[in-house]
Amino acid sequence: MPKTLTLSLSAAALCIAAAPAMAQDCPIKVGVLHSLSGTMAISETTLKDTMEMLVEQQNGAGGVLGCELEAVVVDPASDWPLFAEKARELLTVHEVDVIFGNWTSVSRKSVLPVIEELNGLLFYPVQYEGEESSKNVFYTGAAPNQQAIPATDYFLEELEVEKFALLGTDYVYPRTTNNILESYLQQNGIAEEDIFVNYTPFGHSDWSKIVADVVALGADGKKVGVISTINGDANVGFYKELAAAGISADDIPVVAFSVGEEELSGLDTTNLVGHLAAWNYFQSADTEANEGWIAAWKERMGAERVTNDPMEAHYIGFNMWVNAVTDAGSTDVDAVRTAMYGQEFPNLTGGTAVMLPNHHLAKPVLIGEIQEDGQFDIISQTEEVPGDAWTDFLPESAVLVSDWAELGCGMYNTETSTCVQIKSNY
Amino acid sequence: MFARIVRALAAAIVSLSAGTATAQDSEAPIQLLLQDHGEIIAKSSRRTIGPAIDALATSGLPEAQNVLERWQAKEMWLNKETGLFVFAEEIDRSTIRVFDFADGSEIGAVPDDDWKQLKPNSGIRGLIGAALVQFQLSDPDPANRATALDAIERDAEESHLAALRASIDGETDPAILARKTRIERLLTIEFGETDQERVAAIEEFQGDLGVDLRAVLSRMVTTRAEVALDAPERDDIARLVEPGSDALDRDSAYALLVAADLAAPQITRDEKRDALVANIQDGEVAGVEVATLDTEAARDLAYAALAEAGVVEPVAAETAVAEALDSHVFYERYVGAPAAVAIAAQLALDGIEARLALNQAADLLLDALSLASIYFLAAIGLAITFGVMGVINMAHGEFIMMGAYTGYVVQLFVPDYTLSIMIALPLAFAVTFGAGVAMERLVIRWLYHRPLETLLATFGISIALQQLAKNIFGTQARPLTSPGWLDGSLVFNDVVSISYIRIAIFVLALLFLALFLFVMNRTRLGLEVRAVTQNPRMAASMGINPDRINMLTFGFGSGIAGIAGVAIGLYAKVTSEMGQDYIVQSFMTVVVGGVGNIWGTLLGASLVGLLQKGIEWFNPSNTLAAQTYMILFIILFIQFRPRGIIALRGRAAEA
Repeated sequence: MPKTLTLSLSAAALCIAAAPAMAQDCPIKVGVLHSLSGTMAISETTLKDTMEMLVEQQNGAGGVLGCELEAVVVDPASDWPLFAEKARELLTVHEVDVIFGNWTSVSRKSVLPVIEELNGLLFYPVQYEGEESSKNVFYTGAAPNQQAIPATDYFLEELEVEKFALLGTDYVYPRTTNNILESYLQQNGIAEEDIFVNYTPFGHSDWSKIVADVVALGADGKKVGVISTINGDANVGFYKELAAAGISADDIPVVAFSVGEEELSGLDTTNLVGHLAAWNYFQSADTEANEGWIAAWKERMGAERVTNDPMEAHYIGFNMWVNAVTDAGSTDVDAVRTAMYGQEFPNLTGGTAVMLPNHHLAKPVLIGEIQEDGQFDIISQTEEVPGDAWTDFLPESAVLVSDWAELGCGMYNTETSTCVQIKSNY
Repeated sequence: MFARIVRALAAAIVSLSAGTATAQDSEAPIQLLLQDHGEIIAKSSRRTIGPAIDALATSGLPEAQNVLERWQAKEMWLNKETGLFVFAEEIDRSTIRVFDFADGSEIGAVPDDDWKQLKPNSGIRGLIGAALVQFQLSDPDPANRATALDAIERDAEESHLAALRASIDGETDPAILARKTRIERLLTIEFGETDQERVAAIEEFQGDLGVDLRAVLSRMVTTRAEVALDAPERDDIARLVEPGSDALDRDSAYALLVAADLAAPQITRDEKRDALVANIQDGEVAGVEVATLDTEAARDLAYAALAEAGVVEPVAAETAVAEALDSHVFYERYVGAPAAVAIAAQLALDGIEARLALNQAADLLLDALSLASIYFLAAIGLAITFGVMGVINMAHGEFIMMGAYTGYVVQLFVPDYTLSIMIALPLAFAVTFGAGVAMERLVIRWLYHRPLETLLATFGISIALQQLAKNIFGTQARPLTSPGWLDGSLVFNDVVSISYIRIAIFVLALLFLALFLFVMNRTRLGLEVRAVTQNPRMAASMGINPDRINMLTFGFGSGIAGIAGVAIGLYAKVTSEMGQDYIVQSFMTVVVGGVGNIWGTLLGASLVGLLQKGIEWFNPSNTLAAQTYMILFIILFIQFRPRGIIALRGRAAEA
């Protein structure tokens, strides 16, 4: 007991010495809510390491508001309900000021009620299906209009694809995304019978029939393209079967939304050269900021490690949060939230990310071709695209907007001019 | 500090030398040509790039081919300041060595900050490829000639036909000659000069099923729906269509009438209502009281009155629409090719249709056989441990996984893929044999004849083994690469094909069937196994050690699972959870086939494979649903034949 007393006394003294005007508790705690065990561990551990590196770098640069930052790491073990428990622990026991975490949509949905009840602040770094906007979450990954729609446009305009195969794993992200895409394609004059949709289970391995079906689509002389929302290791079998069938990317291009540098490290990419992926970041982006970032990462983690899109999302999210805290002069959630709107921070790929009042970022969309070394060659980069929480391509979502700055509502119906609901338990 | 000065100096020198060099090449004709189209080349979009490629291809400049090839290979760079084009090779991440297009001479090594690499997307690369065809068709390098043919297949142009015909005579490579001849025939269908020539080319393809042929023919029979007052006497009418049928719905039919100025446009009820509401004046619309507008007919009249007054566009009422549709003839007209060609193409397509169905069935059958062989291979080990010994081994899938990881580890040490597979197969057997024996000794032998406890114990072991694999290898899928000679597929025609790796698995499954039969029926071990499973006590009193036999049998079954793991890893993936994907199917195969009989397992695997593919064929959009229906079917099947397809009878059944 006396020890804690001395500690908190000395901490208080430090704070007073450092920033007498501000009543800031030191150190500022940053919660890291990423799975370190279970299925999602390999993806999420990378993000935990990213957060630790960012916190260290910030401390090296003098911390925030004169305080040291401290990363509080917990392990929700790829167990969705445990995410909610651990989020509550971070907010009530460790009393963190902000949380960076989650990967799968289902884990995010599990954390939402806790974070809204306790008025926490969560930065979510992964591309997702949209149709959500919580007051307490900043979505730094891509919404569908920042990944799926531009990639589809690229297929339509640059590759002149006339028939689409939408292949996905059977769960919420691919189904929602494909619904949006189907509706979008039909609005762009692609007939319903020219869209082939298929869902497969997680870890599916028997792809010969599906690949044959896709090839058969081309029999009427139209150019076929595949939009893949296949997730996880099922991709391995899919690409192997494509290669065995001798399908080159010039004949039937495949654009994937869930395959990045990390996933390609598990594959022999010689047969995949030329197939595409759409992200907001690729390791091969040729900018000085990116070179520094990669060098720092490799120095910390080892030369063979790669960087990827969710890492950049955390990089932007964390730096924006630091700036917002500095602007607000406190770590109070509501003050920081208000200060977040309009925050700008340079992307690693060039250009500037802007935080919008709907809690999404404006970011450029990149399309890359897979190369033999498992990296992507960026062949198309758009201007910054503002993230859209509610898609414009589904009739029931088209009328909804999210605007926490002016309207104070994440699900605002523009037709009836009413706020449908404040909590995000939809 | 010193280093920085040196670097700055070096950069200055380099840019100086680059400066003098670019001054030299900026007047070369090829450079001028590129400058003319500099903007669209730098923009790099398929929609606008056409003129630049055409200009290069038709320029007649000797450097044009080199420019197109470099551009296609992403080796063309653009100086951001001067706007001059060069080709370059990358020395490292931030330095490039640039060359002049005009004479191919080296300009020097420069930092890449001032230069922009042009990265044409695959759409543009296709266009460039099509433009390069004229240069490459008679290229001395066969690889280049093949590239040219690829390009023609992707983006055929009329000019290709003459170029291709000219190059056929000098062709020496028989494979390329065959391709050239075929493509020449296809191009003749599409771009031939006379109808006779084109029809003859179509007829020559009698019996062919190629996707490329069908693509060309489909383009020939493109039709457009049109409308006239009377049926026109023309030979290019594909068929008459009835408005309201599948081919032409009423709305599009009426839209055709409107487009041909044969009828007034129609508006929806809502639009009509909105127009009426917009024109309400003092409780009246065009002199009609709003209160009386409570029927569709009344609203039509009011709208017609408005139209007469010139307030709104005149439109057709719903009765008028029906009348207009009835009084006109709708038909589809061939627009893709002259009538004679289109009709011949349609005939050919009809002929293909019938054979296509047959070939698709054959392809489905091959897929089903392949899936059956994979299930059989996964289940054969289980047929021994579960079928013969009656041990419910939930960790069977994890033995498959262990085998696959063994293959992966071997490939880490032996880079030659053929050799590594040769080593991996017996090693996987050894590893899983050892694991099986250990498991039998430590756990299962204490639990014989207690199926529930065996199930729980092995289930626990399976979870433990999975987590162990995750800890050692991580959760990311690991590559298990098949040797080069197993790449690609055996192609019968464009519909029926199967990958070599699947054929290899099929052969492996047959080999293990033979091995199983040999061991069980022809060796002392097999004899003793059969004796022990039928009556362990009697066997023991004949001098057989049942303990030892059980151990060896379990090890043998596990070892085969390990080999199956290598095979499955080759065609799919190696992860810690791969065993889970096969355990249910394996048990299903064994149970459906009939416990304790290898032929039953074979039949079971065939049934499950055929069923799965059959259901997928009916419901191609949801593979998960196909699996669900299959499991439902199997549950039903077991209700009626609880002992499986081949049920053991007599004394063996009681053992």
